[in-house]
Amino acid sequence: MAHELNFLFVNIVNGLVYGSFLLLTSLGLSLVFGLGRVVNFAHGAFYALGGYVLISVMRVGAGFWLALAVVPVVLTGIGLALEAGLIRRLRKRPEVDTLLATFGLSAMLVGGIEYLWGTSTTIVKPPLGFEGIVQVLSNDFPIYRFAAAGLSLLMAAGVLAIVQWTPLGLRIRAIADDAEMAEAIGVDRSRLLWQVFGYAAGLAGFAGALGAPIFAVHPEMGLSILIDSFLVVVLGGLGSLKGSTIGAAVVSVTKAVGGAYLADWSTALLFLIVASVLVARPTGIFATGRIA
Amino acid sequence: MRRIGGLRVLAAAVLAGVSMTMSGAIAGPDPIRIGVLTVRSGPSKPIGDDILAGIETVVRQRGKLLGRPIELVVEESLFNAQTAVTKATKLVQQDNVAAILGTSTVETLALLSVADRLGVPIVTSNSGSAAITRERCNRWVFRTNPEDLMSVVSLEALIAQTPRLHNAKWFTIGHDYPWARLVAGATKGVKAVQYAGEAFAPLDTSDWAPFIAQAKASGATVVIAPVTLGVPLLQFIQQANEFGLTKDAVLVSPIGLPDWLVDKLGEASTGVISAGSWAAWRTEEQWPVTRGFNEAHYQLHGRVAGMQSLQSASAATVLFDAIEKANATSPEAIVKALETVESETPVGPLKFQAGGREALAPLFLGPYEKLAAPKYGASYAQRPTAVPASLSLPKSAAEYGCRLDGTTAAAK
Repeated sequence: MAHELNFLFVNIVNGLVYGSFLLLTSLGLSLVFGLGRVVNFAHGAFYALGGYVLISVMRVGAGFWLALAVVPVVLTGIGLALEAGLIRRLRKRPEVDTLLATFGLSAMLVGGIEYLWGTSTTIVKPPLGFEGIVQVLSNDFPIYRFAAAGLSLLMAAGVLAIVQWTPLGLRIRAIADDAEMAEAIGVDRSRLLWQVFGYAAGLAGFAGALGAPIFAVHPEMGLSILIDSFLVVVLGGLGSLKGSTIGAAVVSVTKAVGGAYLADWSTALLFLIVASVLVARPTGIFATGRIA
Repeated sequence: MRRIGGLRVLAAAVLAGVSMTMSGAIAGPDPIRIGVLTVRSGPSKPIGDDILAGIETVVRQRGKLLGRPIELVVEESLFNAQTAVTKATKLVQQDNVAAILGTSTVETLALLSVADRLGVPIVTSNSGSAAITRERCNRWVFRTNPEDLMSVVSLEALIAQTPRLHNAKWFTIGHDYPWARLVAGATKGVKAVQYAGEAFAPLDTSDWAPFIAQAKASGATVVIAPVTLGVPLLQFIQQANEFGLTKDAVLVSPIGLPDWLVDKLGEASTGVISAGSWAAWRTEEQWPVTRGFNEAHYQLHGRVAGMQSLQSASAATVLFDAIEKANATSPEAIVKALETVESETPVGPLKFQAGGREALAPLFLGPYEKLAAPKYGASYAQRPTAVPASLSLPKSAAEYGCRLDGTTAAAK
């Protein structure tokens, strides 16, 4: 019995570590959708770009942590440029247009990665002092995974705090609540969408860079996390940050625990859970039509 | 409209005539065109790069065939069945290739259905599925790499020669697809194996932690990993190291590691033993043909000849020898010559099974290790021991289910 409980514990912890990465990527997706109704298929490519910017900065001599700090700045810049150059022009068009545009953008970004960095995979070593293993209840856990999960959660908490308690967050929530009314009282919606799209790209890039020592860096690395992130957002409710938080935990723990006990059935189980929730609550667990 | 003077027209006509005459005199015989159908983009591109590099090296070494230059026509398969059929049709109908090289399992399985219509020999060097040369064998489709079931047989030889694997507890971590289950089933069947369990991950798995946790919880001392070659296998080995699984258990790769992956893994590759690589460049210590190829490969491509390079080079060598033996490039003549040709290839002496399409190719067992000094740019490589095909493919083609007569009726 103790052995069984221990095994369950190991898998819940493994799930939550993955969930922390998932949370970062899904928060960005959710914010962009909640604010601008943009289903951003390029989000996975931003995640991959994060990994590549990290290795490029490290190659010019920077340490891991410095490179990690540079990644969200560069990705935010890329996100801002793409929003201004592409997404903004499609804003008044049907949602499917932005969906198709971001799908194409994703393919172009991955193609760009392959052109600039090649198609091979790069292994990134964990930073000095984080390479070993730590024992928790006599189970081995890589130290870096804990550090990365902690940092992801800190970053996610920061995003939630900004949305909840800062003037920027107030404007974001106002636009998500009632865009016309918010604009009428002087909130610059266009500028806000531009900023949020950039920040979301920065978050995705940060997650990709942080995950590099665990998952390695390769052009297609954003694909599987994009699928999981969409599951999180759909499960939690499009546009709901609280929903994304719960959704990330549900998806990641289901994948880890399901993988451990049901192995090949874990994907089916995950989709079954998502489908069941959508049948009961078509807008997801927490969808309230507003960012909260 | 500008008028061109009569003298100018005359001069142009004379020049054109002279130039045509000269080009006719300079041009040599028509090249023999060989199609290469392989993956050229995406995460599996390194596999395609190695396949192409091996073929290009043999073309460079060989120079000419029947006194004619060899021209490679390379097509992207995207590792996709439909694309493979489309591109193979283009290679045959538009480019008039004499044969097709370079295919992997997905492409080869797709081409089996249209092979009689294509009507050119296809010599694959990177296709695992046993069915290709067993129950689905086709007179046009030859294979030089050992198939999956041969690799499974070699597991017993590996255990016999590796003391660390005696009385070990085995666990399988693989992808959730038929090959992985085949390996797991075969592992369970080996007499010397105490089987501790198995876990099959979805094909899109990037985090192997739940599956590694199962292996650790089972107390396994050997983990056999039928994981897709490429990024997934790299992620699995990297994470197995991260969780300390490689300290508790030996990792066994059923068909070895591609050398580009060994290069990426570096020290982490030394925790892995191959249960049956399709090729290993260090066999050059016993086989001069491999050394000659390795040197030519390094000269041309600046990197070590990987498992897929050596295999594709062997397929190209066998094909070119058959064309020379046939002294013709007609598809029928090449097929007939392939059936009896005996070649000295970079993976050793090769010929095809009598009445079948599988080459009697050796498998290479053994651990990966750090080299005393880097060679051909590689610092880590497998220390291979060859297992002859007489052990891994002891029966006749017919006994393995290959009935060429049935499939050739339409073609004949």
